[in-house]
Amino acid sequence: MVMTYQNPKVQGAAGLLKGRFADLANKADILKAVELKALYAEIPQLPDDQRGVFGKELNMLRAELQQLVNEAGEQAEVLPAIDVTAPFDVNVPADKRPSFLPSQHGSKHPLMTELERVLDIFYRMGFNAIESPEIDDDYHMFGALNFPEGHPARDDYDTFMTTQTDKNGKPLIAPAHTSTMQNRVLRKYAGNLEKGEPIACLIPGRVFRNEDLDARHEHTFYQLEGVYVGKGVHAGMLVATLKTFLQEYYGKELDVATQPFYFPFTEPSFEFSLSCPFCDKKGCNVCSYAGWIELLGCGMIHPNVLREAGMDPEVYTGFAWGCGLDRLVLMKNNIEDIRHFESGKLDFLRQFS
Amino acid sequence: MKISLNHIRYYRNQYDWSDDPAPSGIDALVEKIGAQLGAVEEVEDLGQKYRDIIVAKVVNCVDHPDSDHMHVCKIDDGGKAQDAERDENGLVQVVCGAPNVREGLLVAWLPPGSTVPESVGKDPFVLGARELRGVMSNGMLASAKELALGDNHDGILEIDEASAKPGDDFAATYQLDDYIIDIENKMFAHRPDCFGMMGVAREIAGIQGQAFKSPEWYRTDVLIETPSAPSLKLTVRNELPELVPRFVAVAVADVTIKPSPLWLQINLLRLGVRPINNVVDQTNYYMLLTGQPLHAYDYDKVRTLDSGDGATLVVRNPKPGEKIGLLNGKEIEPRAEAIMIATETKSIGVGGVMGGAETEVDEHTKNIILECATFDMYSIRRTAMAHGLFTDAVTRFNKGQSPLQNLAVTDRIIHDILESAGGKVASELIDINQVQGREWVHLPVPVTIAFINERLGFNLSADEMKTLLENVEFSVAVDSDTLTVTAPFWRTDIETREDVVEEVGRLYGFDKLPLELPKRSIKPAEKDSLFELKSQVRAALAKAGANEVLTYSFVHGDLLRKTGQDPDEAFQIGNALSPDLQYYRLSLTPSLLDKVHMNIKAGYDEFALFEIGKTHGKSQTDEEGLPKEFERLAFVFAANSKQAAKAAGAPYYVARTYLVQLLELFGIWERCTLIPLKDADLGTQPFFLQVVKPFDPERAAAIYDGQRILGVVGEYTASTRRALKLPAHSAGFEFGLNLILQNPSDGSGYAALPRFPKVTQDITVKVPASVSFQSLFDLLQTELAKTQPEQVLASLDPIDIYQREGDVTHKQLTFRLTIASYEKTMTDAEATKVLDAMATAAQKQCGAERI
Repeated sequence: MVMTYQNPKVQGAAGLLKGRFADLANKADILKAVELKALYAEIPQLPDDQRGVFGKELNMLRAELQQLVNEAGEQAEVLPAIDVTAPFDVNVPADKRPSFLPSQHGSKHPLMTELERVLDIFYRMGFNAIESPEIDDDYHMFGALNFPEGHPARDDYDTFMTTQTDKNGKPLIAPAHTSTMQNRVLRKYAGNLEKGEPIACLIPGRVFRNEDLDARHEHTFYQLEGVYVGKGVHAGMLVATLKTFLQEYYGKELDVATQPFYFPFTEPSFEFSLSCPFCDKKGCNVCSYAGWIELLGCGMIHPNVLREAGMDPEVYTGFAWGCGLDRLVLMKNNIEDIRHFESGKLDFLRQFS
Repeated sequence: MKISLNHIRYYRNQYDWSDDPAPSGIDALVEKIGAQLGAVEEVEDLGQKYRDIIVAKVVNCVDHPDSDHMHVCKIDDGGKAQDAERDENGLVQVVCGAPNVREGLLVAWLPPGSTVPESVGKDPFVLGARELRGVMSNGMLASAKELALGDNHDGILEIDEASAKPGDDFAATYQLDDYIIDIENKMFAHRPDCFGMMGVAREIAGIQGQAFKSPEWYRTDVLIETPSAPSLKLTVRNELPELVPRFVAVAVADVTIKPSPLWLQINLLRLGVRPINNVVDQTNYYMLLTGQPLHAYDYDKVRTLDSGDGATLVVRNPKPGEKIGLLNGKEIEPRAEAIMIATETKSIGVGGVMGGAETEVDEHTKNIILECATFDMYSIRRTAMAHGLFTDAVTRFNKGQSPLQNLAVTDRIIHDILESAGGKVASELIDINQVQGREWVHLPVPVTIAFINERLGFNLSADEMKTLLENVEFSVAVDSDTLTVTAPFWRTDIETREDVVEEVGRLYGFDKLPLELPKRSIKPAEKDSLFELKSQVRAALAKAGANEVLTYSFVHGDLLRKTGQDPDEAFQIGNALSPDLQYYRLSLTPSLLDKVHMNIKAGYDEFALFEIGKTHGKSQTDEEGLPKEFERLAFVFAANSKQAAKAAGAPYYVARTYLVQLLELFGIWERCTLIPLKDADLGTQPFFLQVVKPFDPERAAAIYDGQRILGVVGEYTASTRRALKLPAHSAGFEFGLNLILQNPSDGSGYAALPRFPKVTQDITVKVPASVSFQSLFDLLQTELAKTQPEQVLASLDPIDIYQREGDVTHKQLTFRLTIASYEKTMTDAEATKVLDAMATAAQKQCGAERI
């Protein structure tokens, strides 16, 4: 589309600038042309009745030039086809061919490094591992875990829900805990029990809580669920297992303590604390000078949960726990803001090179 | 849940004040509560705040000579203050500006050296002896506000306790030598009884191994005395019997509404409840004590809303469009299923949640209706959530308060209201009761001691268990090894044997659990191959200088659109607080590309990011009928223009180099080919079509492993680059990690080393520019395989790809043949022969000219 302008000055500038445009290396420079600026500078000097018309034409010229710049940009951005089957590009000398970036800049994400460590310890303790899903149904989030419909305990989990529904017509859920896998793990490894072996499984996974972000709260974080079921499993074994893991993880002797708690899916339920491994109970900023760190929730698996997975709670008992991975990493590195984890900032990530 | 240690002490042992609940000190008690009842969030030492305050009597009060409102008082403190300056009669002079100061008044005196309670924990203000307009004042006479006992600052606090006398300890007078212990609410999610002070007192006794006995009035249904000829007509109609199992109401006539006695106000204040008047305060006090919320209405306000001669309360759902103004000053249109308390004509309260403003008890109220009802916990919860009304009543009702305490509580509170507000019971006691016998409480639970001990690792006897349970008022019958446990009516949570296990374990002490690891066999734990694979990928890419990122699983719809993806294919989050979390992501690449520009801006000239994560699309479900999860790896390499100027060639080849390294690591590169994206058959799977959207079809390739497409590698479309401000020099890939697992490598690809020296020779051919590297290379490889001598190890490697200036229709490719025999020394002639054959084949099949 070529515009024509009533005002001879504008028409003249249009011809001149479009002529120059073809030769410009940086096309956007046309918008900064001195001729254009000069015309704009004339506006205040014009008589009142001419000012509006002149200004309008000038704006139209500017818009036309902008359009030309945009079109040129898009053409320049569309690149010719390349031979994607070749190992390197045409006419690239051997010393300039693609190579890897310097190894010392590479890094694993600190959460994943820690997850690998934790997995390794539990492997050695005889646990296998299976990951939890990031989208699930109401049944696995609540129903299979002894949360009756409408139970107030559901309020403690601010779940994200999709507008799409599952086969029961309920919204799909972004799991708020890795316990969504309990029922599946119990069913999957039920054969172990028949063979006289326990079910020992660690379930890491990404979980979600629909809450506002701040330095201490993320809507996305990682949990480590543990499930252990067998014959004659008692609550003392739960405490001993967690204590053994934590001592291996921190490489030192620790004290542990439980506090009664309430979860619908365990009975009894506990909040589990360990003596602060960073100050040995002397008090430091990691433990808020308490000497103790409340680390995780745990308990003996509720008989209704076992029953729901087809197990006889008369014969088998077990324990489960859920521990935040992010918290372990925050504490270990004294990280001041949990939002760094999902920020994608190289300033953060390269500190873990 | 805040509890007062003095309240606990009062109810602990039939009002026996000498029975100290913290015989070994507050710290030991708090530790025990933490270990056996629930986590303690905070302990406040009230006594510390009030320790120096003395009850004093104003003996003499005259106007200040130099002030229009101040008074000069002589007070009698019983000679208690050690260092105070006294006159010849032993009285202390204090200047006071309060309008209500007068001779004969009993006041709270803060002597010099004491700290104003209101300032404790903020900016402590320590009093002294100083002159006020020329008159010496020793300390001060305190207002309620200065004592941190409410907001009243209109005058000084007037001590109303009949037994108080000068020199008494003010804290002791009002039992402010107290500790307030705040226990986490979550602990009591299934314990309605612990939302009352009495319930917590019972538990504390229980964990201390001490038998608790509820007061007689609480354990029995007492019917209050009602007049034979009611003077106030009260009618109640329950239209929602399913949701309101019990509704008790009674009218009281001729009450005098005024502030409560100070001790009651202080009892409420210490637990964070604001005193209102002598009727409302009683309802709050009994709620704090028993967990049973109560409500008082102004009888006459209720009556005049209807035209009849009496007051009527109707329990019903709201009428369509009905609104109600609440006590908090807000007006709501209650949800259709809400339980409303109404007159015949209009709603006057949201049952169990909050009362209405219209029938509030105020200083003009003469007659009241007292309501003591039980509401369905689920309905209360939903109504509270729907309207954001989280009141003390909601906190209690939604735990499932027992409807078996209503008569006892009603009797007791009416007794106390009559005492403090006067008046008389003026209607019959209305009790609309749907509860049959003990149905609210679960049946007696038979359980063996072995069952309990096995689950705790303890070795307790039947008698020990019986004592533990009886301490908190369970009734327990022992028949050899079996206990039959019957819970008291307030314990609505005891249903299964495991509940009894918990109870025994907790009362005995979980800190005594025997720590013992489960026995295990030497069978190795099974490793998860997906975790192993991810770990390998992570190590390889980090070693190659790339940085692993984690980004959110949810993305803004704009990010999908910017990269050409269709939000309609993605699962949509319906309730996210943040607009950035609208959709489950279809692939990882958009999230990864979103992190490029910010890092360039942060000063990183050249970098590579990768992420391992899950993606979801609406079109595929798994065997459970849930959305199928795709385990993906995405990678992006980016360099700003400064860095790009130093490189040569398209960025595609950098991404490709990283990709090939990984596929080699998996041992599957041998069987993979890269097919130009524009030519690849992507199938009809709409989801995978979304994955390739950000990639430029002219400058990207599908990764094909001979059976299926694993993913895509390439540069990004112009619109993606523009929308996400990507530098021109950027490229990456994304592929399915689970696909790698489904097609694992079939060997290491190792070949034995020939003992004889190798021969190398180069070949250069000129081909039309349209001939792809792969087709030429495959052709040469095929020919090599055909013509190479027996028992050799041969390889063909690309050395150079070259285009002459001015000739865009052709390109020249140079390959190096390396060949070695297992049997003899190879000659150049043998190598040349192979190369000649390759050249001939290339000439025939793609018009190649040997240079």
